[in-house]
Amino acid sequence: MVKAADEGKMLADIREILDNYPPEERYILAVMQDMQKRFNYLPKAGLKTLAFYVGVPLSRVYAMASFYKAFSLTPKGQYVFRVCDGTACHIKGSKILIEQLYKCLGIRPGETTPDGRFSIETVNCLGACALAPVVVVNDRVYAKVIPGDVEKIIREYGGYAHEGKNED
Amino acid sequence: MKIMIDAREVMAYPGETILEVCRRENIFIPTLCYHPAFKGQGACRMCMVEIIDSSGQKRLVASCTYPVSDGLKVITSSEKIKKTRKTLAMLIAGRSQASPFAQEIAEEYKVKPLFFKGFENEKCILCRLCINACEEMGSAVLAAVSRGVDKRIETPYAEGAEECIGCKACAEICPTGAIEVKEENGQRIIWHKTFDLIKCANCGKEFATPEQIKFIEDKTGRKMEKFLCEGCRKRQTAEVIKEFSV
Amino acid sequence: MKEKMKIESSVNKVMVCCGTGCTANGARQVLAAFMDKLRDNPNFEVVPVLKATGCNGWCEKGPIVKIMPQDISYCHVKAEDVDEIIDRTLLKGEPVKRLLYRDPVKKEFVTSIHQTDFYRKQHKIALRNIGEIDPGSIDDYIERGGYKALKKVLKEMTPDEVIEEILKSGLRGRGGGGFPTGLKWQACKNTPRFPKYIICNGDEGDPGAFMDRSVMEGDPHTIIEGMLICAYVLKAERGFIYVRDEYDLAVKYLRQAILDAREHGFLGENILKSDLRFDIELVRGGGAFVCGEETALIKSIEGYPGEPHDKYVFPTEKGLWGQPTVINNVETWANIPVIILDGAEKFASLGTVGSPGTKVFSLVGKVVNTGLVEVPMGITLREIIYDIGGGVPEGRQFKAVQTGGPSGGCIPASHLDLKVDFDTLTREGSMMGSGGIIVMDDTTCMVEVARYYTNFLAGESCGKCTPCREGIRALVEILTRICKGEGELSDLQLLRDISEVMQEASLCALGRTAPNPVLSTLRFFEDEYIAHIVEKRCPAGVCPALTTFYIDPELCTGCTLCKRNCPVDAIKGEAKKKHEIIEDKCIRCGECYRRCRFKAVKVR
Ligand SMILES: Cc1cc2nc3c(=O)[nH]c(=O)nc-3n(C[C@H](O)[C@H](O)[C@H](O)COP(=O)(O)O)c2cc1C
Ligand code: SF4
Ligand code: SF4
Ligand code: SF4
Ligand code: SF4
Ligand code: FES
Ligand code: FES
Ligand code: FES
Repeated sequence: MVKAADEGKMLADIREILDNYPPEERYILAVMQDMQKRFNYLPKAGLKTLAFYVGVPLSRVYAMASFYKAFSLTPKGQYVFRVCDGTACHIKGSKILIEQLYKCLGIRPGETTPDGRFSIETVNCLGACALAPVVVVNDRVYAKVIPGDVEKIIREYGGYAHEGKNED
Repeated sequence: MKIMIDAREVMAYPGETILEVCRRENIFIPTLCYHPAFKGQGACRMCMVEIIDSSGQKRLVASCTYPVSDGLKVITSSEKIKKTRKTLAMLIAGRSQASPFAQEIAEEYKVKPLFFKGFENEKCILCRLCINACEEMGSAVLAAVSRGVDKRIETPYAEGAEECIGCKACAEICPTGAIEVKEENGQRIIWHKTFDLIKCANCGKEFATPEQIKFIEDKTGRKMEKFLCEGCRKRQTAEVIKEFSV
Repeated sequence: MKEKMKIESSVNKVMVCCGTGCTANGARQVLAAFMDKLRDNPNFEVVPVLKATGCNGWCEKGPIVKIMPQDISYCHVKAEDVDEIIDRTLLKGEPVKRLLYRDPVKKEFVTSIHQTDFYRKQHKIALRNIGEIDPGSIDDYIERGGYKALKKVLKEMTPDEVIEEILKSGLRGRGGGGFPTGLKWQACKNTPRFPKYIICNGDEGDPGAFMDRSVMEGDPHTIIEGMLICAYVLKAERGFIYVRDEYDLAVKYLRQAILDAREHGFLGENILKSDLRFDIELVRGGGAFVCGEETALIKSIEGYPGEPHDKYVFPTEKGLWGQPTVINNVETWANIPVIILDGAEKFASLGTVGSPGTKVFSLVGKVVNTGLVEVPMGITLREIIYDIGGGVPEGRQFKAVQTGGPSGGCIPASHLDLKVDFDTLTREGSMMGSGGIIVMDDTTCMVEVARYYTNFLAGESCGKCTPCREGIRALVEILTRICKGEGELSDLQLLRDISEVMQEASLCALGRTAPNPVLSTLRFFEDEYIAHIVEKRCPAGVCPALTTFYIDPELCTGCTLCKRNCPVDAIKGEAKKKHEIIEDKCIRCGECYRRCRFKAVKVR
């Protein structure tokens, strides 16, 4: 899966991130944030190195990684659909958008398509409630999205509807 | 200092919790996540008791974490406490459907468990005593993973952990039998990891893993001459004492 | 300095709102267009000053551009409009009418947003600078009286006098609990152990609320100043601002503000030549609602999962790393400098006796004007929703308003004249929370709303204690089966019983308040529960299993609006002819129901 060269690069990246922080427990969270940003997930090698660096058991670091929503233990897709399911968006129909995404991509929130291209996440509130319902794809914000828009948005990223062939 | 428990005056020391005082005084309070070897966690909430504050207001608190203070008034049994424990029993048995231990709690409190979907094979009640035990041992292999209703006990990545020495301290402290230990053909399997078993030099019973022995040796800094199981060690010690006393 | 200010005030200022809402609407492009077209523009003697400000609170009308000193505000500005604004407003001094806000009732154009109904009833204390300054500029903050309060306490007040003033103001924590801030500081000051720590709680995990975010990204220095004043009182040397990492802009501006404050000698050693030393670190949270709870937040800063523990000893005694700690909410901090400068009496003259001052609310949901509003406490819900919010849009019927975030409660129309303050809302089974106000109309199903909030909490609870974790699991399971039409009447008592124990026995306030949505909807909307259980019908047309939509041929005008918006082509019919829903194809999304202007789509 991961080629040796990639692995070498990853370890170098991990070291670079760790170099920015003293080996203290209170920087675990910050290091994880940086790793998540760099790799789009928290690689096992990263967590192990981090645990060793600050001198805590891997179990503690792992518990943290699985506790906070910002972190993912498996790689996320190239395009991450973040559907706001905050209250304002919820009562304006975000649930239907999630259903539409499932129909089109065959994945539910927290999952990634097998080809690694798309992931779906729900978020609590993007702070743009006046524009509800809101969907963010990577950094692009889609405001006042209606169910009919979902397919169009997926197409923008080279996906096609019924990709997951989920008709139910 | 003195505190009142159910209208009885008892002595208490600064830093103690209500539960610790009650245990010493033989006042029964049910607990699920407490063990005298560890600090109170306040997780299961079975140990809730009522306290009466200076203005006469009653309040439920977890006795395993509530620190005593001079003049504290505690009630260990009341309708409210009963109702709380009953509902907790209903929820615990509803979750831990495969554990006789949890089902007995429901029977004891005479409630019908609210069986949750998808928990037919669940035993764990998330008391976290296993985590505490493993941490105390020094391995700290187990973690309370994820959060909310998805919380569970696991080793990182759900695979055998380097630091696990197969001591099964976790399984021994677990009240529900949720931690699976398989022992056959001279091997022990626990938490996704297989260990060889060493035989007792006296009775031949397989009793410990080499990793465990090494762990103890490293800790005490002394090499063990003879591997004895707990039973044999006790018996031999008793004999030594007898010899001395003759 | 004086000279410079005089010139500045006569020069035009162009303020482009670049808060999160306006940015999502394209404000950055507008800003870039202004920058491009103003730079070296030969038509100006003095080129107007261009500023990117924080959220004006009216994101729905964004991007918003304000021109000062004339006080002209433009809504929905696009990059293409920039030429015209420069040409007509900045050069000729006349407004561009089509970009002004038009009052929907009076049909008049309003030159300044400050004269609109949305703004008129507001009273800004915590938000005083937001939208008026560039959050990246410490000079802007100082120009509007920033750091004067700090100077005042250092020169003129003893720590006890500061506490006295805060106590007199009656300020209560804006993070939800409503604990008197002065008492908290006093308790911490009286704990004779050092070091002491100060924390700003900027976790704001409430779905549908963005008050704290707007302060952090619109006026970061006010938080720093508030914390500095507290540091002086406690002799604390280190502070932490805990902010959600998803709040990109907030992180960016807070970071900048800390650097600038250090550079200007407001943070560091010998602050303003006194012996005060204090510095602040930014901690980026990992996205967990429960981390807003103070013991969980402390755990999180220490580098653990954010699991709360019993608070029988308060953080003011044993907080961060076991040391005495004061933790306050963002908005609480933002009020401090104003209380010090303007005096406690003036602050206390606003609001109610029990809850003085103002509160920022995020007003969202089925209401015409959505946005951030800061109003004196004691205002009624009706005033907020109708006078400021402009009521429920599209001729729909108001049904309920939810306050207090996910563990708040739903308040029905009959209670709209309730005064909004800490104690009244709690008495009605809801709470102030951090200030979310969500308006719901007759297309919102109250059972589903209860299920939504409870389900939210199912994923956001830390999962440590039994009543919360298993209690929420039970509530969700029961509510889900009611929404599916599989509920029984006995479920209602079960919901109440479990809720009661959760309220009493849960470890932290998350679990203790988690049943509020269920209990408040049961109290005011029991009929909807019964419709689901007995009649197997969802009156709001939300729960798919219990909903069938049909088009009333009498009312359908054949406008085709429903057909065009149906995501699955489940509506047939031609223009100007009666439309019809193909039941098998329909996914019950309700899009047609909400959209039809003639109310021809009905719920069976
Ligand atoms: C589940 C839960 C979530 C909370 N979230 C927040 C939050 O996002 N922001 C906040 O300031 N306070 C939050 N609080 C309240 C804090 O625990 C704490 O009371 C507050 O930060 C104290 O500051 P204040 O006195 O200035 O309000 C939350 C409490 C609970 C129980
Ligand atoms: S068997 Fe392994 S996991 Fe269990 S207590 Fe021993 S070291 Fe820890
Ligand atoms: S595995 Fe056993 S000891 Fe560990 S939390 Fe579950 S029930 Fe408790
Ligand atoms: S009440 Fe909920 S969030 Fe609070 S400690 Fe218990 S499980 Fe965690
Ligand atoms: S409810 Fe949705 S799917 Fe059904 S007809 Fe209306 S728009 Fe189409
Ligand atoms: S609820 Fe979706 S942006 Fe706030
Ligand atoms: S024994 Fe006290 S909460 Fe479990
Ligand atoms: S972001 Fe511009 S008004 Fe809110």
